[in-house]
Amino acid sequence: MVTLTDRPFRSWRTRVMTASRTAWHALEPYVDGGYRPDRPSQFGSDNGIEVQNISVRHGRIVALDGVSGSFAPGSLTAVVGPNGAGKSTLISVLAGITRPHRGRIACPARARHRLAYLPQQSEIDREYPVTISELVCLGLWQNFGALRAPGDDDAGRVVQAIAAVGLQDLTHRRVGAVSVGQMQRALFARLLLLDAEVILLDEPFAAVDTNTVQVLLALIARWHAERRTVVAVMHDLDQVRAHFPNTLLLARAPVAWGETGSVLTGENLAKARAAA
Amino acid sequence: MNISLYATMIGPFEGFSFMRIALIACLALVLANGPLGVLLLSRRMALDGDVLSHAVMPGAALGFVYAGHSLFALGAGGLLSGAVVAGLAGLLARGRRQRDETGLVAFYLITLALGVMLVAYFGNNVDIMRVLFGTVLAIDVSALMQIAVVSSVTMLLLAIFYRPLAVASFDQVFLRLVGGRAMRGMFMLLVLLNLVVSFQAFGTLLAVGPMLLPAAAARCWSRRPGVMSALASALGMLACYTGLLVSYHGNLPSGPAIVLVSGVIYGLSLLASAIGRYAVIMIRGSAA
Repeated sequence: MVTLTDRPFRSWRTRVMTASRTAWHALEPYVDGGYRPDRPSQFGSDNGIEVQNISVRHGRIVALDGVSGSFAPGSLTAVVGPNGAGKSTLISVLAGITRPHRGRIACPARARHRLAYLPQQSEIDREYPVTISELVCLGLWQNFGALRAPGDDDAGRVVQAIAAVGLQDLTHRRVGAVSVGQMQRALFARLLLLDAEVILLDEPFAAVDTNTVQVLLALIARWHAERRTVVAVMHDLDQVRAHFPNTLLLARAPVAWGETGSVLTGENLAKARAAA
Repeated sequence: MNISLYATMIGPFEGFSFMRIALIACLALVLANGPLGVLLLSRRMALDGDVLSHAVMPGAALGFVYAGHSLFALGAGGLLSGAVVAGLAGLLARGRRQRDETGLVAFYLITLALGVMLVAYFGNNVDIMRVLFGTVLAIDVSALMQIAVVSSVTMLLLAIFYRPLAVASFDQVFLRLVGGRAMRGMFMLLVLLNLVVSFQAFGTLLAVGPMLLPAAAARCWSRRPGVMSALASALGMLACYTGLLVSYHGNLPSGPAIVLVSGVIYGLSLLASAIGRYAVIMIRGSAA
């Protein structure tokens, strides 16, 4: 017996619909990669990052020279080092923004679009007329993607995230009209909503007031407790000693990498200064 | 008095079908070019647009050599060589933190020179003038259809993908992280398509003019992307109408006339915004 729903008996209209649906499913990751309502919310044990022999050159300048090692799943690591040590470059390579000249990175979370990267603020055009709430709302991109409209629960979660960083009075302020610290709070609120497994922060506290630093450090501690992998480029070694269990001391190549106490010794720091 | 005004402002379009077609073609072109130009400027990619407009030339020239004045051959050749150059420029920029403007400028010079050589070898000086500066008044109905299709498709795609395009114009890194890898390619393809169809009207040297100048002028009046896009289209249309009239009454080349009027509008907008800022400072100063 043949039922009339079998392939050869479908109407041309059904066939066109099926074909276009198949084509859209093939294309969707490229045009609307954000939309995946069925994504898992549990963290696996594979949200670490492994790097092998990463080298990056800007023209003739060597920014990174053979970096190998791994950020364990759920670890909280500070990246420190002298100016020009390649800290920002490393973070950008981990995020997949800068392509390394040589070497390999294994980061399953990035393949799943569950990696968040906060570049230095200069990468964002703050003259563009978006409000704090619109900026934060982008953190829920996975719920609405490029084409769908944000829903009512999305709006509720945006309000919560804005309150969590203490910006409730500035919800409808343009991003061009807030201070650097307030902008950084808004970007952290967006990170909260992105709900990423791996979070990369490039100098998150540069030019930020001390109150804001306390709020943001608390958020980082919360992410660490939730077993997200966090890597942050840092300058203030006292903050690193107080809040970061692991440290990578970088001077184009790792000088020391491990527990903060054993990395930030006077000897290692001198070595890093000499290498840069 | 009224009659002479009518004869000056409307008469040319009433009397000559080539003027009518030119006007409609230009209006359709700048309608889509306005928002595209605004997006291009907010990404600080004006130079990329310029390079693409010259990249169209060698391919269009080859199309011209093989198929004469066939519109399809011109368009397909232009699209192809534009895409090749865009790809090469992308490769060149890969893995560098700073944008390499030298590479872009080199591309634009090479493609321009190559295009002129090809046209000169296989055609004559008139042909060179045509590919460099275009012939708005020679647009026929089939070219008009091509422009209309590209303009409609552009407006449609811009409307559908407005959110990712807007996000990319202030935070490109974010868009790359959440997906939407194809957005940049789609946007550049739209720019290229529009440059290919304005190639016949404005030529390789001026094709990017109706895209960038009205957008730059609109930027003086507002920073809101919606307002800027609408204003860019409107100012572009004003420039087309005025430019065509100027070229008709002054017996001047029409493409350059339109671009020149756009330039005048840009200059006036700059002046107005400078005066506006000065006035604000004066008022605040006297109030304090």
